[in-house]
Amino acid sequence: MIISILIATILLLPSCFYSDSEIYEVEPVSGDPPVISVFTNLDTLVNPPVNDSLEVIYNVEIEGGDLYYVDAVISSIQIFESDSIHGSFWITHSMSAVTGVDTLYIDYYYSSNSNSLADITGYEARIKNLKIAVDFNLGVVK
Amino acid sequence: MLLSAESVYCQKAGLKLSFGAASYRMDDMKELQKYILSTYPVEGKITSAFPPFSAFSITFVRELYEQIRIGGGYGFSTTGGKSSYADYTGNIFTTMDATSHRFEGYISYVITGGDRIELLLCGRAGANLTYLNIESYYNVLYYSNGSFNRYRSLSPNGSVATELNVNFSGFSIGLEAGYQVDLTGNLKDADNGDELLDPYDREKNLTSDWTGWRVLLSASIWFRH
Repeated sequence: MIISILIATILLLPSCFYSDSEIYEVEPVSGDPPVISVFTNLDTLVNPPVNDSLEVIYNVEIEGGDLYYVDAVISSIQIFESDSIHGSFWITHSMSAVTGVDTLYIDYYYSSNSNSLADITGYEARIKNLKIAVDFNLGVVK
Repeated sequence: MLLSAESVYCQKAGLKLSFGAASYRMDDMKELQKYILSTYPVEGKITSAFPPFSAFSITFVRELYEQIRIGGGYGFSTTGGKSSYADYTGNIFTTMDATSHRFEGYISYVITGGDRIELLLCGRAGANLTYLNIESYYNVLYYSNGSFNRYRSLSPNGSVATELNVNFSGFSIGLEAGYQVDLTGNLKDADNGDELLDPYDREKNLTSDWTGWRVLLSASIWFRH
């Protein structure tokens, strides 16, 4: 009798504490992606020179979404970040690791409109990349 | 003639183990669960809301008179709730696990029956100690965060049931069906004693409520018969 009670106890133990392993799985339905346009004051210039410094002014127009973040990098070093759709920053000749033409990368992170959990909580983004060649030759001190 | 009634009638005492299922009202917990779901940034779903689940008890029983038995013991019940949402970027979920520990007295009256089969009316009354664990977590891409809170309450508790027993030599098996009434207890944080308040009415305390039907199978071992 005692053995059968012990066996029954062991068999019944898992049901002694309630648990629900079910997870509500959802396939999000994506909305239309935002329409984004980016402009800078350097758009019409070819290899703009950095004499002592160069101001970069950017402007973002976005429809159907939000801009999360703007990130500017030269020579793998971040030189600017912002969450504003309008802004400006300065490039100085000391920011480049090379003498001559270097590339300014500006990445614009904006909402994906995928309607996923990450999209709604702001952890998922589309990226628009902008590359601008900048001439640091004139910045070299002779 | 000089023998007392107790020595003439051979009393029995035993240990009764019961296991089965019970339903639970838990109205406040269900409302709290809906509120938590409404705070999700996405449209989640409640996948379980305090459904009927297992209950067991162990009771020491002593025959006081031929038709009346008394005793006391420990009872355990558990249920819970879960709401969740998951997609390819992550998931968010909330689990609410409730356990009831009852310390209760027992009395039963043999309505009818003979040596082999008997039908009893039984009642229990005691104190119900409830623990409620609420755990919420989210995982989104590389980010995760969560919280865990433990609450407890103490409430008076009673039940009435009918019990059908089949007696064998030295043991019995039985079926018990009845209704349990929990007079509800205010839930308080197990760490700091803060009361768990209704998010829609901050003047109101949320309570545990184990009121509901229960059906149990039982096995009794009689030490003396």
